[in-house]
Amino acid sequence: MGFEHHRWSRRTSLAAAALLVFANVAAAQEADLARAWDGRPDLNGIWQAIGTAHWDIQDHAAAAGLPEMGAIGAIPPGQGVVEGNEIPYQDWALEQKQRNFENRFTEDPEIKCYMPGVPRATYLPYPFQIIQGDDTILIVYGFAETSRTIHMNKENPEPAPIDSWMGRSHGRWDGDTLVVDVAGFNGQSWFDRAGNFASNTLRVEERYTPLGPNAMMYEATIEDPNVFTRPWTMRMPLYRRLEENVQILEFKCVEFSEELIYGHLRREPAD
Amino acid sequence: MNTRHAALTSLAIAVSMAAAPNPTRAADYHHVHLAVPSPTEAVAWYVRHMECEAIPDRADAVDCGVEIHFDALVTVGASPGTGVNHIGFAFPDLADKMAELERVGVGGRGVRLQRFDDGSTFRDVPGLFAHGFIFDPWGTRIELLEDPSRSGFHHVHLSSTEPEATLDWYQSVMGGERARFGEELDGLMYDNVWLLVSPHPEGAPPAPTRGRAVDHIGFLVADLDEAAGVMSQAGIAFEGEPEAGRTSARRAFVAGPDSVALAVVEPGWAGRETTLLATDAGPAVPLEPYTAPRTPWGAPDLQGIWTGDRAHGIPLERPGDLEGVEALTPEEAAARRERGTLGSIWGYEREWRDTTLGLVGSSPSTQVAMVIDPPDGRLPPLTPEAQARMSGGGRGRGGLPAGPEDLSNYVRCITRGLPGLMMPGIYNNGLQIVQGPGHVAITKEMIHETRIVPTEPRPRLGENLTQWLGDSRGRWEGDTLVVEVRGFNGRAPYRGSGETLTLIERYTRIGPDILEYRFTVDDPSTWTRPWTAMFTFDKDDSQYELVEYACHEGNYGMTNILTGARARERAGEDEER
Repeated sequence: MGFEHHRWSRRTSLAAAALLVFANVAAAQEADLARAWDGRPDLNGIWQAIGTAHWDIQDHAAAAGLPEMGAIGAIPPGQGVVEGNEIPYQDWALEQKQRNFENRFTEDPEIKCYMPGVPRATYLPYPFQIIQGDDTILIVYGFAETSRTIHMNKENPEPAPIDSWMGRSHGRWDGDTLVVDVAGFNGQSWFDRAGNFASNTLRVEERYTPLGPNAMMYEATIEDPNVFTRPWTMRMPLYRRLEENVQILEFKCVEFSEELIYGHLRREPAD
Repeated sequence: MNTRHAALTSLAIAVSMAAAPNPTRAADYHHVHLAVPSPTEAVAWYVRHMECEAIPDRADAVDCGVEIHFDALVTVGASPGTGVNHIGFAFPDLADKMAELERVGVGGRGVRLQRFDDGSTFRDVPGLFAHGFIFDPWGTRIELLEDPSRSGFHHVHLSSTEPEATLDWYQSVMGGERARFGEELDGLMYDNVWLLVSPHPEGAPPAPTRGRAVDHIGFLVADLDEAAGVMSQAGIAFEGEPEAGRTSARRAFVAGPDSVALAVVEPGWAGRETTLLATDAGPAVPLEPYTAPRTPWGAPDLQGIWTGDRAHGIPLERPGDLEGVEALTPEEAAARRERGTLGSIWGYEREWRDTTLGLVGSSPSTQVAMVIDPPDGRLPPLTPEAQARMSGGGRGRGGLPAGPEDLSNYVRCITRGLPGLMMPGIYNNGLQIVQGPGHVAITKEMIHETRIVPTEPRPRLGENLTQWLGDSRGRWEGDTLVVEVRGFNGRAPYRGSGETLTLIERYTRIGPDILEYRFTVDDPSTWTRPWTAMFTFDKDDSQYELVEYACHEGNYGMTNILTGARARERAGEDEER
């Protein structure tokens, strides 16, 4: 229940923060958590991350974006969501990340309206809806028509039938925490608009822990032996969207990406 | 995507040759057996394109020098990949033959040419002959080679992990004379028809032929009991008891090397009476009204993986020549679906088609048309407004797309619209329903779109907030989920529908494994009256899982279409100059 301490004890400077979050979790469990028919936390509803992790999961100062967009296009500053703020890239991978960063306004899968992968789908600036049934949990994301089935009924996680953008998800309950193992990725996803990335050997362990009826803590531990020197973790709260009648709206973004992807193939290119 | 491997059609080639009573030889070719959905159509194809002869009183076989027998079976794939890679036919003038086949085209029950890297359809094998490859519409690979001295059935080409041992096996069991074909290929000769063997590519062993396009090869023996004795000395036993067919001649099967099925038949064997062997008898529609199970929170439970594969091929409107017909026969239904796939995915490999539609556990629907109201099965007349709306447009400039916007929403991977996205298609027909309290989520595999339907009353979106798929509101009427969709942006029309469309869908589980989908299209700006259509989905959780249909992410088609359009424009300009 709650977070696993061994991951937190790597750095003593984090120990206090760990205890603090743990205390919050404990407090939430005493409060009235919404419960599903089976006594598990009821995660049904529309959720969204707040913050700037979608720009950069690490600490980042404000910066210019696309100049023609003025201040609207500027990149807002933000505190990172990565534990210790360090992503333990292997040397080659750090160079690749830097190349990704330089080419981010043309190469980012998000700018091309591609499915965002995991965990990026969670903290894109769009809401997502959890449909929690009996043996399946479905997450429907507000970006690029993406959805993801979390299989709750498989004793032994089956390998993914094919590699995919969103991977194959197997879930289980660890007390009040929904733990989801995700693998079978195609290796083309980024983690943010700053070019952080992984390969097709990525495995993600997600933990969704209710902090009360309207918030939960989201943790994603990233493991990819071909890209990183050790597993690492990002963590951020998710908030329930409380607006009356809020619903996931269509964001069929393909048409907004066509000029970027196919513009040079027009009979009369814009340039 | 399917993971079950069920055979749907089997094309049997029967190679029938005069029995050669050579005492050193146990057998001779008799037939090659192919799997097809409609033997009648296969007979016509082989007569027309391979210049075989129809056999009197046999609707399921042709004589090509060797007989080819056709069985209406469910096929699980093309011949390549099995121990029988292809069969060969000789023609006196190959250039002529290939040109003729190229003119036929691949559409419908056409001819699929397998081009060489340089785009040519045939080429010379130095010192030997000219050859090329085609596929018949049902997945049998056929080598065509030039031989001025003969025409007709030329060879069966095996693919073996141990070619030498395989030739020895055939020679010891079936007879035949060792000979060298060309400079490199060893083979056996059976009365002027070759059995050739090439090494099977490393990796996976050859797949069993049973159920594939070339289901088995038949050899002729004088007497099955005698043959059984000879074969038992070689340690080979019949699989099952010999059985008689239309005549008193009997047939038995033996297992050849590389999982190749072999039939051994007595003189006079003329096949069995064939009937369509569907893998199930069709949807089990219960006579009593069915009560759907309930979710733990008490809603009718529609959850699971469903597929619309059975419904693929049902036309929306009743065809003129089927007036008054209540249902198709199973064979007509199988042929209709096959025509549908051939007509729509002619550019894809047979393997692809087979692993999508061919492998499904469901027999094709015999439903004549989807429209059930108006009762004549035809859409009501369009309004004058809709006629005017639909007559405009056109791309101009030779119909070439100037940019992505000139292509359909489907090609652009934006949406298939409603009710279009619910319609069964040529592949990826999975439909996943997941329910939570107060919500039903409906995900369609093709082209990955999820609709979230609230089932408790809530206000609709504002009038100015329209969407491609509108705004769905659901309610339960008994066991039926009724979804009313409005608020369309009008950019994804169905048969001309517009922003004023109201779509009412009714999802009813009418049996444990069958979901009836009924929808009423009410758009007063488009049709003079509402109309209603119906088809069913089958539950298929045991073997079907929706895979991620990353349509836009992998849309090479768009790049290629636009690149091709620009190239054709440049070519046209060059010509004008």
